[in-house]
Amino acid sequence: MLSACAVCLIAGCGNPQSQTATPDAAALGAAASTASAASLTVGSALAAVQAVSRGLDDTPRSIDPQLTTDVPGQRVADDLFEGLTSIDIGGKASPGVASSWESSADGRLWVFHLRPNARWSNGAPVTAADFVYSWRREVDPKTGAQYAEGLAPIENALDIATGRKSPDTLGVEASDAHTLKVRLQGPTPYLLDLLAQQYLYPVYEPAIAQYGDNWVRPEHIVSNGAFVLRENVIGSRITLEKNDNYWDAAHVRMQRVIYYVLPSRSDQAARYLAGDLDWTDSFAASQRGWLKSIIGEQVVNSPYFGAYCLGMNFQLPPFKDNLPLREALVLALDREPMVRTMRQGMYEPAYTWMPPLPGYDAPLPPWQSLGDDARHALARRLYAQAGYSAAHPLRIKLYTPSQDGDSRHFFEAIAASWYSILGAQVQLYEEEFKVLLQERALHKLPLFYDAWIGDYPDPYTFMQIRYTGNGNNNADYSNPKYDQLIDAAGQEPDNVRRYALFEQAERILEDDAAYIPLYFYATRHLVKPYLRGWQSNVMDRNLSRYMYLLEHQRQ
Amino acid sequence: MLRYTLRRLLGALPTLLVIVTLAFVLLHAAPGGPFDSEKRMMPEIQRSIEARYHLDQPLWRQYLRYLSDLARGDLGPSFQYRSTSVNEIIAQGLPVDAVIGLTALALALAVGGAVGINAGLRHGTRWDYSSMALAVAGISTPVFVVAPLLILIFAIKLHWLPAGDWVHGSPSHLLLPAVALALPYTAYIARMMRASTIEVLNSPFIRTARAKGLPLRLILWRHALPPTLSPLVSFLGPAIAGLLTGSIVVESVFGLPGIGRYFITAALNRDYTLVIGITVLYGGLIILFNLLADLCYAWIDPRVRLR
Repeated sequence: MLSACAVCLIAGCGNPQSQTATPDAAALGAAASTASAASLTVGSALAAVQAVSRGLDDTPRSIDPQLTTDVPGQRVADDLFEGLTSIDIGGKASPGVASSWESSADGRLWVFHLRPNARWSNGAPVTAADFVYSWRREVDPKTGAQYAEGLAPIENALDIATGRKSPDTLGVEASDAHTLKVRLQGPTPYLLDLLAQQYLYPVYEPAIAQYGDNWVRPEHIVSNGAFVLRENVIGSRITLEKNDNYWDAAHVRMQRVIYYVLPSRSDQAARYLAGDLDWTDSFAASQRGWLKSIIGEQVVNSPYFGAYCLGMNFQLPPFKDNLPLREALVLALDREPMVRTMRQGMYEPAYTWMPPLPGYDAPLPPWQSLGDDARHALARRLYAQAGYSAAHPLRIKLYTPSQDGDSRHFFEAIAASWYSILGAQVQLYEEEFKVLLQERALHKLPLFYDAWIGDYPDPYTFMQIRYTGNGNNNADYSNPKYDQLIDAAGQEPDNVRRYALFEQAERILEDDAAYIPLYFYATRHLVKPYLRGWQSNVMDRNLSRYMYLLEHQRQ
Repeated sequence: MLRYTLRRLLGALPTLLVIVTLAFVLLHAAPGGPFDSEKRMMPEIQRSIEARYHLDQPLWRQYLRYLSDLARGDLGPSFQYRSTSVNEIIAQGLPVDAVIGLTALALALAVGGAVGINAGLRHGTRWDYSSMALAVAGISTPVFVVAPLLILIFAIKLHWLPAGDWVHGSPSHLLLPAVALALPYTAYIARMMRASTIEVLNSPFIRTARAKGLPLRLILWRHALPPTLSPLVSFLGPAIAGLLTGSIVVESVFGLPGIGRYFITAALNRDYTLVIGITVLYGGLIILFNLLADLCYAWIDPRVRLR
């Protein structure tokens, strides 16, 4: 919409001071092409003020990286702290505090070499002992860390977390100030991704010793990431400033990051449109069409490592030992039109348990290629085979969370689809989320909402859920052949062979109709065209340390 | 008067105890706990976290522990916001709600009072009907419609005022939330003041004053106004308590760091201490402002005697 001349004009009067840190050529090209946003002129030189305002979906449960459990907490921790590995602009693990590492042939012993110039925000060096302290703190039952289980691959971690061993038996040891040895329970090819999880970030022992729980306050906190905490107003705002002691501070252009807590997605969009936010954490699916029509390319979606599905309880009637019924319900949904129209084209219909992941070839079920009529006919045949008919229809309740208003009409469509294709009478039953969680965990619900978001980009984070007895195995699914494959994958250091084992395991899930796939999640952001230095990625982690602002003018 | 006040304050203690007990029992009766999440922990890990917050103890013991902490003014740690105490959350949020709430109240009293008394004095005229039509519209338009509309007009279209956020002492950040919050109160006060004005003007003592030949201005200010205000006073007690503890809608739409939102989010998250903490605070404020309202009542209306 905007003439190219306006863009050149602004580009011409670039601030000479910012030339030292001029964005790369590719970004410059992109700058000119995407400056078509309704009322913005975007230049190509760095803006004089490098301060980004980011929306946040909720108040983080904690700023303490080892206690926080939610996505907002992870976003803030990603900016404040840095693990042995960090997250690169594409969301992948990259060297962080550790500049290099090697592992033994069996993949069970890893040695990490820490950067000598890695420093805490108070100037003290980040040492191997800091990691030993922090990881022991995470698994120590006295800390009460909800994600202590995340350290499971490290030797003795689970025994310590469950109180059977003392924290100093954890398989981690500082050979010297800058060398850390990590002993694992088994080969863990995703270790480098795991190390970039917030619960494996180092924390500063002297601050915790002195201030206890209060160490996370702006006046006490010491952190080792690209930013330091300046202000934390619960329920409103978290302000970070650049950490000059950060080892890579020379490449951090952003001087200030302000996170605005806005739990309502439509409020976040309103604040974005008013120009208060440069980047939103999310937006409401129901507003996508409208937002697209007014700000076009600023609405950004990309695949996210999460799956939305329905669970069927394997130990309760009517699904126990009833493969035909489970298959009939899986087949009698027209995913493409349902997901595309009802979810505003935001999500991808799912046919597998694992969301797409580079290198992993998720086996599509054979029925995926069937035409609608053939699939419906097959579903009806299976439904009849399971003993149901028009005279004796399946009558069942589908349990869904009451807070998810955005999804209600989607669940209604599922029930309608089963009714029109099979004649099954499904009643929607909304429960408060905590109630649903508890009843689901106690395996009291036959048919229920289920969803999972992966912690790190590896199939294991999804596949472990269906393992016999896993705490998150809400369907109480159990198949010894499946468990064997997962066990074998756990002993396999070679990732190609490992992925092949997971693919086989996934095929078993499909043969057993272990779940009803619906769709895969998507990341959803509104991003101003002048905000650069970020990329959509499957883990949806976007560190402010890579971000920078181009000169821009509102017209 | 002093004895009366003291007696009322002492009498408030059992009421507060009932509030605490009810909140405690109801919350613990609800299924699910503060540390149940979509991603389940190993049972041993969950137990050790619950032990850290004494949730493993029998309920009566947790209750007694809570009461003894409460007696010392300690509302306990928040479960939802780890490493933060309920006292801190309230200390941070209450002043924000108080500033917005009192500004809204001042706006509502000034505008609503003037419109209502004016309508009452011009009973049956075009003034009366038009302002009451507006008042009905004001009462029936919910805040969750008004607030986004204000943002749309004054922040997104005109760029006059910020669309949200909170900066201490900044009037421009205060204006939109205060107006949004004031609107239903303004309308309600206008209607109430109109009815009360009409009633008082028709009462015998005004007729007497007129018969004595007092000038109209004197009748209105000295004799009519104080009794007109008495229904307002009994309304203001609970209204101020409600305004001080924030509005979930205004807070979330404008992204304000108040405590109103916790009435819902903390309950959904089973953050027992936070829910009970703000419930006790709310209950205490209602008791306090009702007492103040009663004291004012006695001061305005000579027929009321406190014993």
